[in-house]
Amino acid sequence: MEQILGQLPDFLSANNIAFLAQAMAMTLALTFAGCGLGFILAFIVVYIRQTPGLWALPFRLLAILYVESFRRIPFLVTAFLVLFFIAAFIKNASLFLIAVIAICLYATAFSADIIRGGFESVPRHQIETAQALNFSRWQTLTQVIIPQSWPVILPPAMVFMVAFIKDTALVGQIGVFELAFRGRELNNKGFSGILVFGTIAFLYFVMSYPLTRFGQWLEKRLATPRSQRPVGKLR
Amino acid sequence: MIYTFQFGVIFGRMPELLQGAALTLELAMLGFWLGLAPALALAAMRSSRSAIARRLAGAYVTFLTNTPVLIHVYFMYYGLPEIGIYLDKHLAVIIGLITATSAYGCEIMRAGFLSVRQTEIEAAETLGFSRLQQIWFVIVPHIVRTVYPALANYFIILTLSTSMAMIFGVNELLGTAYNIASDNYRHIEAFTVAAGIYIVITFAATLSLAFIGQWAFRVKAKIF
Repeated sequence: MEQILGQLPDFLSANNIAFLAQAMAMTLALTFAGCGLGFILAFIVVYIRQTPGLWALPFRLLAILYVESFRRIPFLVTAFLVLFFIAAFIKNASLFLIAVIAICLYATAFSADIIRGGFESVPRHQIETAQALNFSRWQTLTQVIIPQSWPVILPPAMVFMVAFIKDTALVGQIGVFELAFRGRELNNKGFSGILVFGTIAFLYFVMSYPLTRFGQWLEKRLATPRSQRPVGKLR
Repeated sequence: MIYTFQFGVIFGRMPELLQGAALTLELAMLGFWLGLAPALALAAMRSSRSAIARRLAGAYVTFLTNTPVLIHVYFMYYGLPEIGIYLDKHLAVIIGLITATSAYGCEIMRAGFLSVRQTEIEAAETLGFSRLQQIWFVIVPHIVRTVYPALANYFIILTLSTSMAMIFGVNELLGTAYNIASDNYRHIEAFTVAAGIYIVITFAATLSLAFIGQWAFRVKAKIF
């Protein structure tokens, strides 16, 4: 115990703090880039999955196959597959890019399910009414379905992204310098494992907890219809 | 650059991979079942009358659900030996999975507890149910029915997250695939086959859990 405390001044050197801050920035950048891109791509996947008509059948099947299979593969396996696939065809690909692609593939599959749930929560008759009013499929989607499904989509999507901050710890395995990887590095340099991993766990908590609370707040706020939200001042 | 796929060398070592898959399921089962008891205890603490118990359980759950399981296992595997606690890699991973289940399971069960409405219990009282009968015929079935789908879903996620055991050199499915790949440099093929086995395992688990739920608790099955 004294040994661990004795290392504390050494451990908290400006160098190490900058090192860890950089790693935190990397973790956050990976999460936001991967999940953000995945969220956008997921809309396209859902759009394909819901395209009617016989000609679209193979595309529909492909979208279903993609979503259902990637949700059943561990993220670590996805990361390794993307790493070795890209490494086989492109020399010296950036590891950050590989990690973002892996996260994006994984996040797209999960977000697609969330978004589909949101779209399906819009009552059927609304879509039929839009069709009767001669709305095109695109107009129905952007003017009827999406505005109404936001409250259903946004909270779970937020929860998924926040949870993914923790999953990025696995990306260190393919060599990206994020927080978990830096932790191992400091541990290998001779700093106490209890000290290093305790600090790393705390740093993950610092990143994850505020966003979790924000997600809960968002969920509560969006769950109440706009008309029932407390209004600060009446005009 | 042209890459020729050779799945033959991987399929030739299928028995090893299946053994790894068995270990994956074993880890998931141990982590799940041994984690449920503390999860139940924590959920009871979180909905108890004592403020201290509520706070303690709340802090534990909040901390564990906001930090990666990988870091917990790193802490146990690389940190604890410094104070004289030596854990086997299997044990460290299993404890990591158990603590994760205790925290996430607690959240699931608490949601189940909260879903029982006061009016249901009052209705049972009016019908002359004794306290024990109320618990057994009204509260428990209700909780089981709300908690079962979420727990089944969590089991699948836990099965997938056992793959992090590979980082510590445990020869579960991914670890075995990694070893095979380092023998013959067929990384893409090895991981593709491993991914396929993961899909088969989790799909089988989803199907059987859905049928068990339907048969034992009359939970409506939702597979897709």
